[in-house]
Amino acid sequence: MENGFIILFGLTMLYLAATSRIVAHIRLLIAQGILLFLICCCNMNHILGIHMKWLNFGFLVVETLIVKAIIIPWFLYRVLKKTNANRDIAANVPHFYCLVIASVILMAGFLVSNYFISSVKMISPIYFGVSVATIIISLWLITIKHKIISNVIEFITMENGIFLLSLSVAKEMPILVNMGVLLDVFIAVYILGLFVNVINKEFKDLEVSNLSDLKDYEYND
Amino acid sequence: MIKTILLFPIVAGILMLLFRKRFIDNLLLNIYAFLHFAITLFLVFGNKLYQGTYFAVDNTNKIFLLILSFVFLMVTLYNNGYSKSLPSFGVQVGDKKICLYWFMTLAFVWAMTGTVLTTDLGIAWVFIEATTLSSAYLIFFHRTKTAIEAAWKYVFICSIGIALAFVGIIFLNVSTGDINSLSYNVLYNNAPMFDIFWLKTAFVFILFGFGAKMGLAPIHFWLPDAHSESPSPISALLSATLLNSAFLVIVRVFKLMTIANCDEYARIMMLVMGFLSLFVTAVFVYHIKNYKRMLAYSSIENMGILAIGTALGGVGYIAVMLHLIGHSLAKASFFLTSGNILELFETKRIKSVNGLIKADGKTGWLWMFSMLAICAFPTSVLFISEFLIVKTMISQKHYILCVLFLLLLTVVLYGIGRVVIKMAFGEISEDKVKILEENKTKLSAFMYIPQFIMLIIVFILGVYVPPFLNNIISCASAALY
Repeated sequence: MENGFIILFGLTMLYLAATSRIVAHIRLLIAQGILLFLICCCNMNHILGIHMKWLNFGFLVVETLIVKAIIIPWFLYRVLKKTNANRDIAANVPHFYCLVIASVILMAGFLVSNYFISSVKMISPIYFGVSVATIIISLWLITIKHKIISNVIEFITMENGIFLLSLSVAKEMPILVNMGVLLDVFIAVYILGLFVNVINKEFKDLEVSNLSDLKDYEYND
Repeated sequence: MIKTILLFPIVAGILMLLFRKRFIDNLLLNIYAFLHFAITLFLVFGNKLYQGTYFAVDNTNKIFLLILSFVFLMVTLYNNGYSKSLPSFGVQVGDKKICLYWFMTLAFVWAMTGTVLTTDLGIAWVFIEATTLSSAYLIFFHRTKTAIEAAWKYVFICSIGIALAFVGIIFLNVSTGDINSLSYNVLYNNAPMFDIFWLKTAFVFILFGFGAKMGLAPIHFWLPDAHSESPSPISALLSATLLNSAFLVIVRVFKLMTIANCDEYARIMMLVMGFLSLFVTAVFVYHIKNYKRMLAYSSIENMGILAIGTALGGVGYIAVMLHLIGHSLAKASFFLTSGNILELFETKRIKSVNGLIKADGKTGWLWMFSMLAICAFPTSVLFISEFLIVKTMISQKHYILCVLFLLLLTVVLYGIGRVVIKMAFGEISEDKVKILEENKTKLSAFMYIPQFIMLIIVFILGVYVPPFLNNIISCASAALY
């Protein structure tokens, strides 16, 4: 069950690589949030320590279900409506190759984790493989996409990957750190969203190439 | 004491948001600056060490706290003059906007204080990310297209960098085995038992993550943009205090590597990044067009020197601490003076600035002396620190590195010196005289005194380090072993 959810999570990354409609990407963020919640539920006894069990669980519900699956997608959806950016077309790499490369990364994640990580006691290989592959695919997609709102979406999928990675270690982080991380990521997404709006107002469209005025070899004031 | 320094800005911030009056908000920021400095003096020079669960003053962070507090005080003094002259930038600055500026400055300094004081790697991460978020508005302050670009790059690159640092922290958690804590002291006590492979992996991520924030070379791209587009007092804060806070986290993790006996690996990485920083600066500073960008590149260079000093070890640690003080004060003074120039000439373009000394003698000479201080002209404390680094290199028989180091520093010196001298001397064109006279009236005494004080300290420290400061420096460098 748990492994099934994790594999589904990995597949969402392939979907992200293969589609160009930004609304679909936002829906995918909702799916990722719910999947993370289900993964947490599946190994509740494993993840949650004996101390403050319910506090920890409440925190995880807030983090995955409320923030990752409701608030952030809703906020991005609003930004999207304001800015009228529908598709991220004309990426540097065609979608078919995107899909192939993302699949290769995902497969490499599985292979590496099964061969090398399985000897480490504290890490479960499937978690580790999928989360590392998610982080790498997200970073790679950031470099090839043209719209800045897609960059924000990929930043969030990267954070989801890091969240999964932190679940893969069979140790809990101090709850204070967890809360701080959640708060910071949330505010970062909020600020980036605000900037997307501002950029849309100033530049008329959301292409990354607009943001290349600051250089050293040309005069800028 | 520590509680006061961390809780006061929260109360003051709420008050600021409630009142939103220029006078009250400015007063609160000034009170915090003086309070911060007073408490810091008490914490640093007091007899007993202040320890808490999550925040403490120990030998390593004393010097960082002192620099942060002093630079903040000076920048706040400068801000008093600067905020009055803000409307002259052609941007209409309403009360609301300027109040938000003060509020965000408060939040920014609060986050940096938290980073410096904390004894827990996880909490340091949270505070470092908080510095990114609070300073984003400050960089965006002028609301021009380039300011948006700079702020966007800053938030995006630093957030990704910091996210990767968090991956490093997770790996560190794997390597610690049964220990479930990120407190530095617990980590140090158990370091020899850690899993070496995961510790090394963790260090790579942490160095790159916090290095992005510190402005080390392969990941420095946000730095020139952000420093050149933000208002000058904020550039001073970014350069003189924010980079130091990120460096403190790296130093603490580096110490962990030393205790775990894989410091050789860490040293090589830091040495490579340090030299890369010097190289990048030497290449870009050579044909620079914008004087604030030039100062930003100089910050990258100095961060590179700090990384090199740490990598060398031994006497290098003392050099690092001296360099930290010298760079922070000299660079803050440099950036604040660049604010005066921007005020006078209304441009950041090097070509359009001529005859600074004739236009305004005080600004011109501050500009010249800041350059001498940052370029390690003798009796500047930077001369001592760079000399010590060269000495360490020779005593460790790294002759090629030593030659490379001196060569790159000379190129940077030439690049900066040429620009600064060109700007300071020469004749003013006729059509500018009137505008300059008009702009000169906007500069108040607050916009000269802080730089003057900081430069005096930098040049005095080069010949005489008072015993109380010497004590802190030797404690800090001893704590690194």
